[in-house]
Amino acid sequence: MSPDPASYPDDLKYTAEHEWVRQQDGSVRVGITSYAQEALGDIVYVQLPEAGSAVEAGSAVGELESTKSVSDLYAPISGTVVASNDALDQTPELINSDPYGEGWLLEIEPAEAAAVDTLLDAATYRSQVESA
Amino acid sequence: MSDDLLHSPLHDRHQALGAKFAEFGGWSMPLEYAGGGVLKEHAAVREGVGIFDVSHLGNARVTGPGAAAFVNACLSNDLGKIGPGKAQYTLCCDDATGGVVDDLIAYLYGEDDVFLIPNAANTAEVVRRLAAAAPDGVEVVNLHTDYAILAVQGTKSDEVLDAVGLPTGHEYMSFVDADLDGASVVVCRTGYTGERGYEIVVPAADAAPVWDRLMAAGEPHDIRACGLGARDTLRTEMGYPLHGQDISLEISPVQARLGWAIGWKKETFWGAGPLRAEKEVGAARLLRGLRASGRGIPRAQMEVLGPDGAVVGEVTSGTFSPTLRQGVALALIDRAVGDGDQVTIDVRGRSEAFDVVKPPFVQPGVREA
Repeated sequence: MSPDPASYPDDLKYTAEHEWVRQQDGSVRVGITSYAQEALGDIVYVQLPEAGSAVEAGSAVGELESTKSVSDLYAPISGTVVASNDALDQTPELINSDPYGEGWLLEIEPAEAAAVDTLLDAATYRSQVESA
Repeated sequence: MSDDLLHSPLHDRHQALGAKFAEFGGWSMPLEYAGGGVLKEHAAVREGVGIFDVSHLGNARVTGPGAAAFVNACLSNDLGKIGPGKAQYTLCCDDATGGVVDDLIAYLYGEDDVFLIPNAANTAEVVRRLAAAAPDGVEVVNLHTDYAILAVQGTKSDEVLDAVGLPTGHEYMSFVDADLDGASVVVCRTGYTGERGYEIVVPAADAAPVWDRLMAAGEPHDIRACGLGARDTLRTEMGYPLHGQDISLEISPVQARLGWAIGWKKETFWGAGPLRAEKEVGAARLLRGLRASGRGIPRAQMEVLGPDGAVVGEVTSGTFSPTLRQGVALALIDRAVGDGDQVTIDVRGRSEAFDVVKPPFVQPGVREA
């Protein structure tokens, strides 16, 4: 079953590029929102940065390819990639079916711990999506 | 979405099914449906049955004494090879250059009556060219919005048509007139998916009840409404060309290896001069299939490179094949490159390896008895 495309959990932070960020111990987990997966359509291939890569907020660090198009994945914050979701190599459809859970993309150790606080909260992101 | 776009008579059915719409040749048509998506819709056709609204396709009728002979002197394929009740894939070429104005299906009713199904964006131009050339007494009428076309495609398509009492099992590329609840329909054993299936031409006013009957009859077979996104992945797996990408005014049928759709032995057809000349010397580039060795997904307009890194061609259609779970493409490639060779495509900065292969990429089931 497809997830509700208008679901934006309150405990996550968001970016204007339709990514979500979850604060964890020492790192943040990153994925794309239910709105983004719905807009992209069936995702068939994911290109993610290797663990250890340094990434800069706003720069393209990977690609999400659907049956019809390809989209860049942007780093929501600066830091070092500590993990990427290997399951997506064989089952990229997890991003469509469970964008906030099994379909996560990356874990980043932030260069500055406070960077996450500058991202959008759920209400702000929702209003941006709904006015788009 | 612009209100200038034409809508299918089934538009409200698609809205009710949560379709995402996209523009195709001036029409707003379903790209994919809620709860479906390209992969599920593609699989429905390959493994079961799907129904497509392709009402954006054009309709035109050529009638009058010698209508078939007239069409045969214009369009590329040889109508003399088929009899009444049969359909034929053919091309409308530019007389001066041999480039492709459109590819279409011609339905031969009789020597005085031919029905044509051109592409949405090209219907007006095909009709204009035919009407301008038509002799006295032969009439060419554009019926674009008079008919809807529903394509029921997949291994279980016979079951769905049988359940509503429509004829099935006729030969590939043949058609039968029929009646469904008072609607006069034409059931053609044709399609653009590579699977067994039917295209049903329905008067526009009857389209919605016919769609409803087919959807209800297909329910036990898990029929799925399929959008034009899946239609594109299905046709690409077959290597079927799409006008505007793999064939065009700039890409001739000789280059696209559609010589089988040209009646070379006919006295004449539009573009006969330039096409015969090109066939004689051999096309400089040919449309070939490419299959990824790795994970790369090719897209139209990407460059194809030879072993030494020189550009040897360009992708005209590229996608992820849901059946193979790999990237596949049609590409126009220098004739020195042949099937079995290896090439690379620059996929956004990554050099991805591809094998040159002869389409189809997936075994078709269209002709199965």
